[in-house]
Amino acid sequence: MRPVHKGCDDFRQTSAAARDRWLVPRLSRRQAIGGGLGGALAIWAGRAMDFGGVIEAATAEAAAAPAGRVLVSVFLPGGADLLDTLPPVGQYGTYADLRPGTKLASPPLLGGTGLGIHPSLTEGIGGGVKGLFDAGKVGFLPGIDYANPDLSHFHSRHFWETGLISERAAPGWLGRWLDRHGSAENPLQGLTLGSTLSPVLATGKAPVAALESPRDVGLDVWGTEDKTRPRLLAAWEQLTHATRGGGDGPQSVRTAAVLAKRVGDRLAPYAEKDGKDPLAPVVAYPEDDGFSTRLSRLAALIAQPLGVRVAAVQADGEFDTHDNQPEDLARALRSVSQGLAAFQADLEARGVADRVMTLVWSEFGRRPKGNESAGSDHGAGGVAWVQGNHAVGGVLTVYPSLTALDRDDNLRVTVDFRKVYASLIEGWLGTGADEVIPRAGAYGRLSLVR
Amino acid sequence: MARRRSAPAPRAGTAARRPPRPAASAARRRGSSGWTEAHVHRLFWRAGFGATAAEARAWAARGRAATIDWIVDGPPGGTKLHGPAPRVDGRKLDPVNEWGHDQLWWLDRMVRSNRPLVEKMTLFWHDHFATSEQDTPRMLAQNRLFRSHALGGFRPLLKQVTRDPAMQLFLSLADSTKEHPNENYARELMELFTLGRGYSERDVREAARALTGYRSKWTNKGFQGIRYEAEEHDDGVKRILGRRGRFGVDQVLDLVCDHPRHAPFLVTKLWQFFVAAPPSPATVRALAATYRRSGLQVKPVVRQILEHPALYRNLAAPDLVKAPVVYIAGALRTTGSAITDNWPVWLSSTMGQQLFQPPSVAGWDWGPRWMSSNAVRQRFVLGNYVVNYGRPRVRRGAYKASLRPDRAVAIAIAAVGSPPVSAAERAALTRLARHWFDDIPKSWRDKADWRAESLQRTLRHLLIAGPGAQLC
Repeated sequence: MRPVHKGCDDFRQTSAAARDRWLVPRLSRRQAIGGGLGGALAIWAGRAMDFGGVIEAATAEAAAAPAGRVLVSVFLPGGADLLDTLPPVGQYGTYADLRPGTKLASPPLLGGTGLGIHPSLTEGIGGGVKGLFDAGKVGFLPGIDYANPDLSHFHSRHFWETGLISERAAPGWLGRWLDRHGSAENPLQGLTLGSTLSPVLATGKAPVAALESPRDVGLDVWGTEDKTRPRLLAAWEQLTHATRGGGDGPQSVRTAAVLAKRVGDRLAPYAEKDGKDPLAPVVAYPEDDGFSTRLSRLAALIAQPLGVRVAAVQADGEFDTHDNQPEDLARALRSVSQGLAAFQADLEARGVADRVMTLVWSEFGRRPKGNESAGSDHGAGGVAWVQGNHAVGGVLTVYPSLTALDRDDNLRVTVDFRKVYASLIEGWLGTGADEVIPRAGAYGRLSLVR
Repeated sequence: MARRRSAPAPRAGTAARRPPRPAASAARRRGSSGWTEAHVHRLFWRAGFGATAAEARAWAARGRAATIDWIVDGPPGGTKLHGPAPRVDGRKLDPVNEWGHDQLWWLDRMVRSNRPLVEKMTLFWHDHFATSEQDTPRMLAQNRLFRSHALGGFRPLLKQVTRDPAMQLFLSLADSTKEHPNENYARELMELFTLGRGYSERDVREAARALTGYRSKWTNKGFQGIRYEAEEHDDGVKRILGRRGRFGVDQVLDLVCDHPRHAPFLVTKLWQFFVAAPPSPATVRALAATYRRSGLQVKPVVRQILEHPALYRNLAAPDLVKAPVVYIAGALRTTGSAITDNWPVWLSSTMGQQLFQPPSVAGWDWGPRWMSSNAVRQRFVLGNYVVNYGRPRVRRGAYKASLRPDRAVAIAIAAVGSPPVSAAERAALTRLARHWFDDIPKSWRDKADWRAESLQRTLRHLLIAGPGAQLC
């Protein structure tokens, strides 16, 4: 029986040689998703690190290219709903019929687009995400997905993370970009703000880093003197070498041990000193909001000559709104809007906003017809947006019809996410999309960057 | 059952004088020396949370069969927690009301239980049937469910989990009704809990219909429980996984349990929980056969995995990345330390694992994915807490600066519970000890006993939280 909603594996249609360029062969060790265990296997610096070549003073290299453009990936986990995020007020009756349990009564309007916007997205500095839209700094991408979407969170998320409609383990799409265009030394070039590495930034060989806070990075033993510290760190390196064993586990430990030391070394100059915090935020972010805190740290790090090129942050809220959607989505979008508006203001105040572009995305959308639990089930045709001083503003893709649905009563997909990836790689990062996205030419391009 | 292979028939004439020995098994031929402390350490880490020095010695002497029996079946007399119950801020744990105490309560069981495999399998089910964002009493009730079925039958466990209030609320099975079936639970039932693949979108929708009928009850005092209401159940004909019928809840669960994909799916996932290298197709077939023959019992499958030679391969070079809670509970257990504070709660979370809060219904990403620059740094921090507040504390004035470097290392290894230390690791630590006093003029060195203390701290810290300690 052919599954109705299964991503057609168009990746298989490429030649074997082409596939091998994107899939690091040793990553295929284990079925990434089918087993349930492990999700996407990402050995993010799987090749042997050149220990001898570890350059401790790599700051010089970063300083040589301090003004590189930065692409930030913001993931809304769970499958964010299009209809209640950008309600189609032009077809309000149809919308209200589909969503008796969750519909927004009179949402703020997005200019003359025929769309409204969730009131939570007006919250934050300067009117939140809506304020940024009004200023021409947000371009919405309704109907984004891929043909015949797979409604499993884990499959779809893996496809978005890797930019490949394939269940095989592979580096992330921005990780592949780093493998081609990044540094062989600087882990801060690919930065996850969070305790575990984002699969979007999983690389085949380029070093990348994950951190919760730039303050909590040093390898310190309590009750020892500063004088002995270099000896501790030398022992750490020897113990890293001494960690024998083949396979992905020992390799991941060795690599992470090297990177932990290097991240600690590189961020040591930014430690708080004499009550002064060189990384303090320059605008007010919402308090007690993890997403905002991570964004504020990211903004501070981007503004330093640390060579950050791609970064990933995950939102905190609940977007898998099978029930209680009105409250959960309002809370989740409020955090997103307040955080992203403060992030943009922070980047502008630091004078670096011209070189940062943000892509906000989710793994799929939700079914137009709501369920009885005041929620909505997994569906196709979601919502994403680009944000930044150089983002093209407006509604950049066709809003899916509410009446001409697919055979599963889902929205019809109006733009493939790989078209957005290819457009950002070329238009923003300035490199060939074909190197990262297989058959990138087939998707066409969107004008996302001005 | 692979529990004990029967001895081959003794050869005529020799049977009277020599005990029969299977010629193929090198380990058996070497007798008790084929089962060493290194084997015990490997087994105890994989099946539990590490072995203390005393456990490693005792079980190496008692042999392979006795050790595996103890791990799998437990000691006579039932479950016990060894040692004093933890106290935080001078008070007993209050798992329901105090923040983080639910996690500490479970970590403490991992540290002190005489059934480490039961706690380890409870963790397996917590990941397998990952549930999150529910009130603590419901999560603790679910935890008791996992523990009582830890090594039991999968079918009764699945039937209980399907009715478990925390799960029902998390995956919207509660209040999925005939009129408005919610597909959330049906989808994860097939994708994550039983089959992995081999079902269609239609199967999900039809199974969702068959699972309808549960209603949640709420009053102004909050959640009052789940009830099955027959009138909310869709009793029409469904077509699920190629079968037609008026399927109800238990029948759908039977359909997925009896599906040919279920046994290979579950035994593979169990294998991956214990062994880093993937199972061969033959191993999957053998485990699936054991699983089916036993009527979907988990214990014989786990026993077969724990007896498998692959688990003991390359004892000198461990290859399985410890999960954060395994790492933390193991560091406490193997050093003989107790939970005395909240630090394991936030530390575990910043390493990427918070008990009772899996990141999604797919659970955590295990294996190499635990590792990142941040995770290693947070794992390093653990050393500070264990060395300062645990049993490996460094006593003031106990160590002389005149101690020889190799002796200082030997003292540190013994102080942290004598974990396996490779020659290369020992050499690195000895080198550190040799150079620890380098900045102090030679004439003063013998008086620099304070520096001997910081050396002990550092050596113990690196043994507990160094790169090698991340693997088992």
